[in-house]
Formats: sequence, C-alpha cells, structure tokens
Amino acid sequence: MVNFNEERVVYALIIINKAGGLIYQRDFAEGLNKLNINDYLVLAGTFHGVHAITTRLHPLHPPPPPSSERPDPPSGIEVLETENFRLQCFSTLTGTKFLLFTEPQQPNVDKVMGKIYELYGDYVMKNPFYQLEMPVRCEGWERRLVGYLRVLNSR
Amino acid sequence: MRIGPPAKLGSCTSLVNSLLVPPSSLVYRAGELSLLQTRKMVVYSFYIFDRHTECIYSRLWARQDRPISSSAASNRPISTSSTASGGNTLVPDLGPARARPARLSAQDDAKLIFGTIFSLRNMVRKLGGPDDSFISFRTGQYKLHYYETPTSIKFVMLTDTQTLNMRNVLHQIYVNLYVEFVVKNPLSPVEHPGGEGVANELFELALDQFVKGVL
Repeated sequence: MVNFNEERVVYALIIINKAGGLIYQRDFAEGLNKLNINDYLVLAGTFHGVHAITTRLHPLHPPPPPSSERPDPPSGIEVLETENFRLQCFSTLTGTKFLLFTEPQQPNVDKVMGKIYELYGDYVMKNPFYQLEMPVRCEGWERRLVGYLRVLNSR
Repeated sequence: MRIGPPAKLGSCTSLVNSLLVPPSSLVYRAGELSLLQTRKMVVYSFYIFDRHTECIYSRLWARQDRPISSSAASNRPISTSSTASGGNTLVPDLGPARARPARLSAQDDAKLIFGTIFSLRNMVRKLGGPDDSFISFRTGQYKLHYYETPTSIKFVMLTDTQTLNMRNVLHQIYVNLYVEFVVKNPLSPVEHPGGEGVANELFELALDQFVKGVL
C-alpha cells in the first residue's frame, strides 16, 4: 500500500539572484541530503551556469523573426527529473531563479511555485528593509512560506 | 570504418533486422509509445561520451541550417582528438562563432552538452545521494534525456519537449546496438579515442532504424 502523504512532498526551496548567488535556502521535509552552506553556494553557482548553457543548446535554429517583433528569449532548464526528486526551476523576468525540489510525482508544482512567488513579492520585495540581491532574512516571508508549505506537505 | 566490402551490405542489413526484431519487449514498447503519442515526436540529436569525457559518437537528425564544416554532414563522430589529427576539415569557422548571437559549431555543442550533464549529474548525486542519477531535463525548446552505464559511458538524446521518458530507449540502444555492434566488433578497439570504431556501418544503420522505429 502506497502512502500518499509521502508521495506529495515539497522538499526544499532555493532562490538564486541574477548574479548566481544563493540568497535563500530552506528545507521543508526530509528526503534530500543536507549540505553545508558552502556546498549550497557552489550548487547555486553551478546551476546558474548550467542554466545559462542550456539556453544555448537548442539543436534547431529557427529563422530570425522580423525585426519589428522581439522574440521570446530561450528558456533554460525548466524541469529536471531524477530518480529521487524533481526540480522545478522558475526564472523571473529579472533573472531571479526559484528552485523547488519536490517528489517526482508531485502535482501542480506550477501553482505552488506561483504562490511562493506571490509570497516573495509581497513579503520580500515589498519589505522596505530588504536590500536587493542580498540574502533574504524577512520574518513575515519565513512565517508565511513555512505555514503554506506545512499545510501542503501534510495534506 | 568498414565491416565488410560494399557488396555485403545487403546481408548486413538483414543481420541488423534479425538482431533488431527478436526482443519482443522492444517491439511492444515502440507500439506502446506510438499509441500514447498522438503528436509525432522528434529526435534532434544523439551523443555518446566515453569515460574519458570525450564525445565518441554524435548524430544529428534534425535539419541543421548552421554552417557545419564537414563533421555532422558526413555523420562522423566529432571529438577533440579527431580534430587534432583530422586536419582542417573539422576546425569550425571562428568568424561567426565569435559574434554574440552566433551559432555554435557541432563540436562546441557536444562539449557544452557534456559540461551540462556532468555538472547536473554531480549536483543530483550531492542532493539525492550517491545512487541517484538524473533522467532528463526540459527547457522551453527541447528535452535532454540521459543514461549512464555502470562503466561510465554516457548516452544523451535531445528530443522535442513533448517526448516521454526515453531512458529505456537509451538503455535499449546501449544493450542492443552499442554492445552488439561496437563492443562485440572484433575490429573495434577497447577504448575509442576520437570515436574510432564506434561509427561503423552496422551501428549507424541499426541506430537509424531503431530511432525511426521508436518514433
């Protein structure tokens, strides 16, 4: 018998700023290895680089559109699947990247990501004491994020 | 590299067919995929990397409008060492490559792909434990599938984004094609520096048929 509670879990959230620096990392459930803070910084930098490379790997080269319209920039990694987890990457227009680690079968990750981005907008970006591109240390954000994901994980 | 004289090509083809048809699971899988997939899947390219991080085989199916010198056009494996020995034919034209939105040469593509899968594999192992391995990633434009054998030979396939999990397809390519036609080939070396011995007639033919059969 499969325990469905264990199948739908958000493991962790990582936020990377537009320069590739780690600005937020938090685990919400057991499942991923714990790394020390240096390893997380290295991981964020590595992912930032890989993400940039993957935008250039498209094997087809469509003809350039007429110069009047601006084409969408190619997107980098959006979903990474492994045997143990699934990594959803949401890159905002300003280059901030949200990395959400979930169970491979987790449904509606887009919705969860949207909600997290909303919380980020409301409680980090609107916080007058938050300095752009610096590590996120905001109590309101922390409280609401943990509250939201705890409910989600215990469903 | 030639396996036999050209006159024997017909018998080679039938050998390929007889080797490809028997595994019933394989045939079933191809049928299953075509049932599930209403839209036609597209395979863009396929790469094999050996344990020395070298690209020993690459194959591009999709139409390429990039200026490739000779490498992809003749379906020869592209690799650093063959560049060193192969003279000018494989050296990409550096002029357009320097410009900012320019296209990369096929060789650079292989290197970038290796760098990507290598970094991602290490990242996944760090987070998911040493037994974890990454299966695929998807961007807005394409999907990359990855399979690594216990001997660290890496199989990579780029397809369109709608394609389902291709890991077992890559596994089948390893078991039914790579092992049969490259590893068991008495004329092929144990290691494949510069892709030597990988791009033989039987393997290319079988790979082509297999990929067309799966889609």
